[in-house]
Amino acid sequence: MSFFRHAFQIAAKDLRAELRTKEALNASLSFALVILLLFSFAFDPTAEQTREISGGLLWLVFAFAGALILNRSFARELTNDCLDALVASPVSGAALFTGKCLANMALLVAVELICLPVFGIFYNVRWVHRFWPLLLTLILGTWGITVVGTVFSALTVNLRLRELMLPTLVYPLLIPALMAAIQLTTGLLAGQPLAAELTNWLKLLIGFDIIFTALALGLVETVLMG
Amino acid sequence: MKDKLLYAACLLAAWLVLANLSVILLVLPDEAEQGAIYRIIFFHVPAAWSAFLGFLLAALASVAYLVKRNLWFDALAVSVTEVGLVFSIVNLITGMIWGRIIWGIWWTWDARLTSMLVCALLYAGYLMLRRAVEEPAQRAKFSAVFSIFAFIDVPIVWFSIQWWRTQHPQPVFRGGGSMDPAMYKMMFANWVPLLLLFAVLSAVRLRQERARSEIDALRREAHAL
Amino acid sequence: MSSANFTFLVYGLTVAWLILFVYVALLAGRDRRLRREIEQLKQMLQQYKRS
Repeated sequence: MSFFRHAFQIAAKDLRAELRTKEALNASLSFALVILLLFSFAFDPTAEQTREISGGLLWLVFAFAGALILNRSFARELTNDCLDALVASPVSGAALFTGKCLANMALLVAVELICLPVFGIFYNVRWVHRFWPLLLTLILGTWGITVVGTVFSALTVNLRLRELMLPTLVYPLLIPALMAAIQLTTGLLAGQPLAAELTNWLKLLIGFDIIFTALALGLVETVLMG
Repeated sequence: MKDKLLYAACLLAAWLVLANLSVILLVLPDEAEQGAIYRIIFFHVPAAWSAFLGFLLAALASVAYLVKRNLWFDALAVSVTEVGLVFSIVNLITGMIWGRIIWGIWWTWDARLTSMLVCALLYAGYLMLRRAVEEPAQRAKFSAVFSIFAFIDVPIVWFSIQWWRTQHPQPVFRGGGSMDPAMYKMMFANWVPLLLLFAVLSAVRLRQERARSEIDALRREAHAL
Repeated sequence: MSSANFTFLVYGLTVAWLILFVYVALLAGRDRRLRREIEQLKQMLQQYKRS
């Protein structure tokens, strides 16, 4: 299936390029860590308060850090007309999109997995015992952010004020996914089992991911190639 | 001729509003605790309905544009989105005033107001996106894609925020109980003039969009000469 | 009809219609600007063609 082969090749190319310079990764990671630390100073939450805001804080940090990674995703292809070359190549728009999504996903999940222990230390939150459900939440939530963010990264790449347009367009679209991820994370960190109420949020997140992945795959060719 | 039609529609709308107002103020019974302010619902809710109709039309026009690539569909999409956004602002502001009077605060994360706010942000983003793209075909293409994404998101937003609010219930405008059927009828009756206004404003805005493409064509001619 | 909060009802309705009128004013302003620009462009083209 050349679709998957192309997608993996694109993903590998992007990851290789990123790991050599680590520009987006460093920017994103430092931003995320600084915000986490600043919040701890600014609000000095008690254990009770931390339990209530944990999900919200983590996912806002992830969303903002994600924007930095997503912005660069297509922006990196502008120099030397690389984007034109990719569009003209036999790689289909959907494969290009999927490849970039996979790369962005890997980068963002890496940032998140580094933030989680930092959060645990500075906010005195125990998370290790809920690691697997948390990882599931991280992956599903990050996929939602990545899919929508990558489509709009492609759309805004040639616009002036690209760095402003991407968050402005993407964050309102992501509100349901962020809300679900936040509720899940807060619930899991507070010790609730992944049952009953939390599964509703899980289903919402999965539904969001499926719907927007399908929509993105359907429309990305239009965005990239007209 | 078209102008006369628009003026006639406006007058009809005005007449209907005044007729409805007389019923709203004089005939309909009181609501239990809220006093007169609850009567604003007859504008607050139909405004929301009009906004959503606008967003639906925009999504359909966007799909039509992507299929047919006729810029008229793009003009329709931006017109109904803009007018829809105005109606959503009417809904938000009347909601805030209502809330301020009965609960004493300007904003609570009431499920409906919050969802409407998110929708308003989405479509304000749509209008911002249009300003950022110069070339008409590309602008139409990108706005169409965003409009489709936005409209698919709207029900998901409503659903998720409703859920969120059942976990932390906040004051709600109307209790879950049913409404007096006369009031229900009046909400629909008052929707008619708002829809007329919606149609008139969209028609005017659409004409302006055609004017803009005429200007683009004239400018190209000027450049060529 | 109870008169409690009646003034607020009037404020609320006034604000609702004010928003619509402000939008109409914006549309009218834009209309004028567009019409002026079309006139200017047409005149400019006519002058150029004549010369």
